Amino acid sequence: MTRSGNPKSEIRNPKSESRTSSSGFRVSLGGVIFQNPILLASGTFGFGLEFPKVVRRMGGIVSKGITPRPRAGNPPPRIWEVPHGIINSVGLENPGVEDFVQTVLPAMRFGRARVLVNVAGDTVEEYAEVVRRIDSEPVAGFELNVSCPNVRAGGVAFGRNPKLVARIVKAARRATRKLLVTKLTANFVDPALTARAAEDAGSDAVSLINTVMAQAFDARGRPALGGGTGGLSGPAIKPFALYCVQRAAQAVRIPVIGGGGITSGRDVREFLLAGARMVQIGSVNLVDPCAGIRILEEFRGRSESRQSGPDRLGQESRNQ
Amino acid sequence: MTNDEIRMTIRSSRPATPACVQARVVKRKLLAPDVVSVWLRVPEIARVIQPGQFVQVKASSSDEPFLRRPFSVAQQRRDGIRVIFRVVGQGTALLAAARPGDEWNILGPLGRPAPLVRNRNVIIIGGGIGIAPLLFLAERLCRQNRVHVLLGAQNRQELILLPEFRRLGVKLSLATDDGSLGNEGFVTDTLQTVICGLRSAIAPVVFACGPRPMLRKARKLTQGLESYAFWEERMGCGTGICYGCAVKRADGQGYLRFCQEGPVLKMSDIEI
Repeated sequence: MTRSGNPKSEIRNPKSESRTSSSGFRVSLGGVIFQNPILLASGTFGFGLEFPKVVRRMGGIVSKGITPRPRAGNPPPRIWEVPHGIINSVGLENPGVEDFVQTVLPAMRFGRARVLVNVAGDTVEEYAEVVRRIDSEPVAGFELNVSCPNVRAGGVAFGRNPKLVARIVKAARRATRKLLVTKLTANFVDPALTARAAEDAGSDAVSLINTVMAQAFDARGRPALGGGTGGLSGPAIKPFALYCVQRAAQAVRIPVIGGGGITSGRDVREFLLAGARMVQIGSVNLVDPCAGIRILEEFRGRSESRQSGPDRLGQESRNQ
Repeated sequence: MTNDEIRMTIRSSRPATPACVQARVVKRKLLAPDVVSVWLRVPEIARVIQPGQFVQVKASSSDEPFLRRPFSVAQQRRDGIRVIFRVVGQGTALLAAARPGDEWNILGPLGRPAPLVRNRNVIIIGGGIGIAPLLFLAERLCRQNRVHVLLGAQNRQELILLPEFRRLGVKLSLATDDGSLGNEGFVTDTLQTVICGLRSAIAPVVFACGPRPMLRKARKLTQGLESYAFWEERMGCGTGICYGCAVKRADGQGYLRFCQEGPVLKMSDIEI
């Protein structure tokens, strides 16, 4: 699939598709080149404005989820700590696409680090609406968050239904020629099925696994989170995430962005071994806002100390 | 989040990244049952931290417990800070076992400082463990303001930091639930008396920290006055990036992140 570049869009280089640069740790995804394979996961680093120096070092940042209209988010408590992780129920608090474009996005300048906008909505049309509004802005691409409840489909999360995933991807695809990543859920669905649906519908890549649906109670026996239930993340979900990423990577030809409980360079490598081309780090950012830099350095150190060097990593990460 | 707040976030984005630094435990003391005081040598943070700001402490070198523990700062000296906390769970229990020479990984300083007012009547009201951050504030404010400190706790034993406050030479009123020290009853009863006595004079500025019911009462009593609450609750990152700590805005426009917009919040801005 060739696409003419939008004048404002970032440079795409189709020739470098499916290659990890031998001169460093650059990776290419749908024609967009990232300086390294580590992304800051949506919702775990805000809009990057608190720590721009950290963002600059990363492959890129995925913004908080943007919806057509502002969302206040869920009542507190929004975070509940559990063994080796957290359950969150932030509820997509965001300023809405208009304020995002007018006020936030102009400040999101992070040098060579790419900006992806995470897109969410209540309906298929809302996803396309947000993508359309941002398409002419200087962002590298979009990540479709298909794990929000869909009222029209009777409360079933979009991401559990391959047909709905396909419809959302198609609608978004019509709205942009930029990099389109579909962020899949692993809740009550085989990610191989939804990954294939996203691929067939024109997604350039898939990312997974987002959080794992979870329930917690406080000491008094009430639901611990203001939103009632939440999503589990952190090292607690890493083995499950690795499994899901491997499964998705074996099912599709498009690149996979893996994530779930990464806290070290070694973890990054494991996700690449599972078939991911890039990774997302999330919960660890809450513990240390500079974790991305540490993880990158650990990953580089590990890779360089191996005989075969970074090239081999690139081969490992390919799905073909 | 409104446009103005987004602009504020952009403006307030710190040019220097608050660093994770190693702090050395210098002194550890039990102030009351389950209330621990720790002096830390950590010049990088001590030199810049202001009253109201806080630090996030890693309770272990592993990923268990996962999140850091947010502690307000009770005192600051040239090279060190003093944190005081109550043991409430696994993380604080681990930290309470600290010994001199131990190293803690600390992230800070975090949050916005309290407004350092001048030439005012200042009322500082603290309850229980909420007394701790107010000592740092009182130390900074006592020279340039007329400061009246009201402290309350369940009993004499739980009323912490009394010698430190006495040393400041500020006017001090005490209250305990059981009457074992100071007035018998809530410290907010004292606040009511103090505010009634002051109304005719220059309007005071009030700072409060303590349990939720105390803050709720203080908010009611200080309506129309400039008053601030030091908000203490569980949080995620402490740095503004996770949107996990939310306090409801009084104007119905959603939530504030109290790690970023706070932890010192104007009482009229929030629902308590």
